[in-house]
Amino acid sequence: MSGAEKLIDVRSLSYSIGGKSVLSDISFSVARGGFLAIIGPNGAGKSTLLKCLGGLNETTEGEVFIGGRGVRSMSERDIARRVAWLHQSGGDRLPFTVRQFAMLSRYPWRPVLSGASSEDEAFVAEALRGAGVEKLAERRISTLSGGERQRALLAAALAQGTDMLFLDEPTSFLDYRHQVDMMALIEEINGRGMTVLMVTHDINLALHGAGDILAVKDGRAVWRGSAGDICEDGVLSDIFETDFEFFRAAGGERPYAVPRGIIR
Amino acid sequence: MKKRIFALFVFSALVLCFAPFVGAQFIAPSVLWSGSGGAALEILRQLRLPRVLLGWSTGATLAVCGLIFQALFRNPLASPDMLGVSMGAAFGAVTYIRLGLAFSLLGLISGISVFAFGGSFLAIMLLYLAGSMRRGALSLSSLLLTGVALNFLFGSVNMIIQYSGGYTDTFRMMRWTMGGLQTVGFVSFWSSLPGLAAIMLIGWLTGPQLDLFVCGEELAVSRGVSVKRLRKLLFLSVSFVVGVSVALCGPIGFVGLMCPHICRRLTGDAHRELSIACALFGGAFLVLCDTAARLLWAPTEIPVGIITSCLGSLFFIWLLVHDGR
Repeated sequence: MSGAEKLIDVRSLSYSIGGKSVLSDISFSVARGGFLAIIGPNGAGKSTLLKCLGGLNETTEGEVFIGGRGVRSMSERDIARRVAWLHQSGGDRLPFTVRQFAMLSRYPWRPVLSGASSEDEAFVAEALRGAGVEKLAERRISTLSGGERQRALLAAALAQGTDMLFLDEPTSFLDYRHQVDMMALIEEINGRGMTVLMVTHDINLALHGAGDILAVKDGRAVWRGSAGDICEDGVLSDIFETDFEFFRAAGGERPYAVPRGIIR
Repeated sequence: MKKRIFALFVFSALVLCFAPFVGAQFIAPSVLWSGSGGAALEILRQLRLPRVLLGWSTGATLAVCGLIFQALFRNPLASPDMLGVSMGAAFGAVTYIRLGLAFSLLGLISGISVFAFGGSFLAIMLLYLAGSMRRGALSLSSLLLTGVALNFLFGSVNMIIQYSGGYTDTFRMMRWTMGGLQTVGFVSFWSSLPGLAAIMLIGWLTGPQLDLFVCGEELAVSRGVSVKRLRKLLFLSVSFVVGVSVALCGPIGFVGLMCPHICRRLTGDAHRELSIACALFGGAFLVLCDTAARLLWAPTEIPVGIITSCLGSLFFIWLLVHDGR
């Protein structure tokens, strides 16, 4: 992190709901253009943490800074100009076409009384092209297959014109081919300079997609480092409370982690 | 899209132009320029025209309110009268009748309307307090459940008041709760216009936010919508406007449920355009229902609330069968 600009800076973040502590004393930072995967077992607080960073949950204690500004002092519109989201839940009942939905993402940039500008049109066209869904532009999102829909939702997030992208389980419910396509697209977007934070329960997606990994367990940050280092010294076994076996594909840079218990 | 809204505008204008001439007795449009209108012209000016305009304005208001409530609750079966506001207004009206009061505000607005608005205001405040108690923010599920409970509460109190009244009072109470557009002169119409203007403006201004809100609350926040403020603004504004409408015409059910669904099929799901479409269609729809109410059993008039409830119930079943698009 030294030398690189901290785009996201989290300081002693805690979050409680109904008096129950969900996240406790979490601190970390992400450099501009970084790709951080947040991993951890079910119920660890991964999605809750991401929501605190993006202002969807109000932190109980501590501070989150985005581009040097405290999230608490930013309006929803201010945050939406910096952070785009791909949410976990489906979009299978969205009543809009792909283009209409992408155009809705321009809301944070639009004056209250005006409609879509030519700049908005250009952003949307570029986002549809970038996510490879130009041909689906006039289709209703609810009629798309799972893979197509996820790309369409990602296109809408890109149309928001932000410098950060938050992804909550972006490959859930996708088959292997669409998982591969989706991850390739996310890496390409990151390669264009977008800072990416991705919550995933799939350790291999984190290992092979992200540059850095933050592990969360029982509401605490228990490990932070580069993706290449997490396979060492039983780190994963401590996080997920199960033993892992590591396999390396021929010519592969990083290993694949498989829980030992499921190998026959 | 614009063509369809223009078509709705033409449809609405045609209904407005022809409805005043139709009734138990047809009045030829020529009375307007022949100079020999006499009683017919007076009926047209003092009874038919104000009634048609009040019907249009009320229908437009209820349809836009229904559209906003369906978006706010993300529920295709939501409508303005589901939260107990109408029953609260009825409580005010039956109390006024039971107490034997007879007054008017500045000689313009009837006492029963004032009491009905008071009842709806009471319902809104109870709803707001109960809806805000959980976690300090306005909770939609709390609002919905409190609304259902308030409907039953006011309903039972109204029945007790009706039961304790004499025959004449009970008939007046029952008649009021059927809803109706009978009016003499334009005072009720003018009184209904600020509510219509306010809700149209709110529908148009918050249209893009509602588009995002129907996609999910978290998604709306992540796209920059201040959801807490939006919820409060929409709940209070729709409730007050519905309160005024019920105070003027009594409870006219199902207009706010049906019209947004029909308009979505005509103009799509963008709320800015939908709020205009709903106003145009809702206004024309209620005027047509009222015209039917005047004709079906002529010379006796059926309260328009009966017609809308009858059509609305059938539409409700159709909607449930079709899983509420």
